[in-house]
Amino acid sequence: MSTLEVKDLHVSVTDEENGEGQEILKGVNLKMSTGEIHAIMGPNGTGKSTLSQAIMGNSKYKVTSGDILLDGESILDWPVDKRARAGLFLAMQYPAEIPGVTNIEFMRAAINARREKDDQIPVRQFIKKLDEKQAILDMTDEMSGRYLNEGFSGGEKKRNEILQLLMIEPSFAILDEIDSGLDIDALKVVSRGVNSMRGDNFGSLIITHYQRLLNYIVPDQVHIMMGGRIVQSGGPDLAKKLEDEGYAGIRDDLNLDVKLTDEI
Amino acid sequence: MRPSLKDKYMDDVVQFSQQNNEPKWFTKFRTDNLTSSSDLSLPTYEKINYRSWRLDRPSDFTATSSISDFKAAQSESYIIQTGDKTLDSRLEQSLADQGVILTDIFTAIKKYPELIQKYYMTKVVKSNENRLTAIHAAMMNGGIFLYIPTGVKVTDSIQATFIQDNHIKRDFNQHVLIVAEDNTELTYLENFISDGDAEENKANIVVEVVAGNDSHIHFSALDQMNAKTTSYLSRRGITGNNSRIDWAIGFMNDGDIIGDFGTDLIGEGSHTEAKVVAITTGDQVQGIDTKVTNYGRHTIGHILQHGVILESSTLTFNGVGHIVKGARGSDAQQESRVLMLSRKARGDANPILLIDENDVTAGHAASVGRVNAEQMYYLMSRGIDEKTAQRLVIRGFLSSVITEIPEEEVRDRLTQMIERKLINGQQ
Ligand SMILES: Nc1ncnc2c1ncn2[C@@H]1O[C@H](COP(=O)(O)OP(=O)(O)O)[C@@H](O)[C@H]1O
Ligand SMILES: [Mg+2]
Repeated sequence: MSTLEVKDLHVSVTDEENGEGQEILKGVNLKMSTGEIHAIMGPNGTGKSTLSQAIMGNSKYKVTSGDILLDGESILDWPVDKRARAGLFLAMQYPAEIPGVTNIEFMRAAINARREKDDQIPVRQFIKKLDEKQAILDMTDEMSGRYLNEGFSGGEKKRNEILQLLMIEPSFAILDEIDSGLDIDALKVVSRGVNSMRGDNFGSLIITHYQRLLNYIVPDQVHIMMGGRIVQSGGPDLAKKLEDEGYAGIRDDLNLDVKLTDEI
Repeated sequence: MRPSLKDKYMDDVVQFSQQNNEPKWFTKFRTDNLTSSSDLSLPTYEKINYRSWRLDRPSDFTATSSISDFKAAQSESYIIQTGDKTLDSRLEQSLADQGVILTDIFTAIKKYPELIQKYYMTKVVKSNENRLTAIHAAMMNGGIFLYIPTGVKVTDSIQATFIQDNHIKRDFNQHVLIVAEDNTELTYLENFISDGDAEENKANIVVEVVAGNDSHIHFSALDQMNAKTTSYLSRRGITGNNSRIDWAIGFMNDGDIIGDFGTDLIGEGSHTEAKVVAITTGDQVQGIDTKVTNYGRHTIGHILQHGVILESSTLTFNGVGHIVKGARGSDAQQESRVLMLSRKARGDANPILLIDENDVTAGHAASVGRVNAEQMYYLMSRGIDEKTAQRLVIRGFLSSVITEIPEEEVRDRLTQMIERKLINGQQ
């Protein structure tokens, strides 16, 4: 069993225009183990993506205090690639496009990065696995042969993130708004992919704005994030409550002084 | 005072020509050019300073190459030369039957004097253009002639490999003359590669391509001169009406080199796509000047150059698009981009547009930048280490040229060359 723990995490970003640092995360606490699915819900602009990027190690997001621990060990000093090889995966809200490098080539490189130089994955084994995973996601060879995310529609990009997840088989996957821009059929397919990973050796942190996704990937725990903090945690029922009351309702229940960007 | 080239080399040039049993007119061509070389100046290229390389001081061009064995990739039709000697050569029978000629340049001078007299350094790269072309004309010591008669379509590629010898002291003044008559098609690949590193040498290479009316030439080049070789490489073409030359050049040399590339779009409605990728490493300098001149009406000239600079090397891309008066309805576009991987590296991308006609379209883009941080982050977030991620991003950046090469095998070779150069430069 693996554990991922976020302790009193404070994170700032630097505004590219005026160069000023702005604190986004103001003390986030979270603990999860493999075998569990956690969901983080929160209004836009509250710091959900910031949390996922800070865990992955994106250098744009500066951890000013607190810690991130993988199996009890702090990973704050680890570069991104080391975190990934240690078992972390982030399905990004806006994946980069890389022309000239095919999906297939990229996924092989990613798998081989986790293996010894003299024990690279045999081509046949790789292709077999790819076929299996593509089938789960209703994807074709044609897509895997294309350049990485180049010219992919929003939905195709999401699907491609999940394909990578299934191929790489990390211990912890953070899925950042994997449902945004998906129609109901695509949502079902993507959920099928994530659910196929469920088991004792896999944990996931699912970030979403809407409750809808959680009908398909049922979480063990739900956390609500507002104003850079987790303000309430509970079981799947919490997501339903949120659906009924909205973020403003929860905020008012908790007597929080947080401005919601969607509010007029 | 330093003796003039003429005084110093006249005897050698005459003797070399006679030893080769060259016809009198060719000996005269050599000696005339040797004489005029002193009066001509070195070619100048924007932002490329190579005077200190002393490319106009030849050493020994009369030596015979010491290489007698070399493994090179082969296609159905190919030629392998070590400077003056042809190691191996083969021309598909069906092409020979249709009158295609693939032979060494010395044989061509004797067997096909009319064609050589008509085209050799007269139409594309003229011998009196500058001091280096004149020196080449005087001291040419190896090369090939490829001739495609009217109406012949060469579907499989013809491949030429030229091995430059650094085991001994020997100037490498290779000449390639390709004449494709009207209504022809040709896919040609050439590979310049050095062998040995005992001696430092100079190379002065001229490659000429004549594309007849309604012809289409795919020209790919893999240039791999090693660090011991300082080179001038002029590789240019001219077009007939409605013809087209596509260049895909992988400039992967390890030594200092000037690449003078381009097309003169003479024929109405002709078209050229000039694509160059380059990687510079160590402390080498690679200067590339790609020039397309639109002479004919409705001509299209596009230049695309992508390069990567590592360590303390220098890479300069000049893109020159010149539309002359009268070339109505023509189009000149270019893009030159350079990625710098090291703070000690130096890079330049200079777009130069010279437009002397109103009724045309023209545009340019140029940039010098660093590896895209978001792409790097994305790749590394999947566990790929920094150096490998960098190579993948760069490969993507260079792919615009790689994908232009018609044969998969050649694409793979270029990809491997890129990988090798990057790994060297990343150490
Ligand atoms: N790279 C960045 N540069 C500057 N500001 C950022 C950056 N990323 C996020 N922010 C800011 O941080 C806040 C939280 O953003 P984000 O974490 O994306 O929220 P969420 O994912 O919950 O919608 C927003 O105000 C956003 O503008
Ligand atoms: Mg977000």
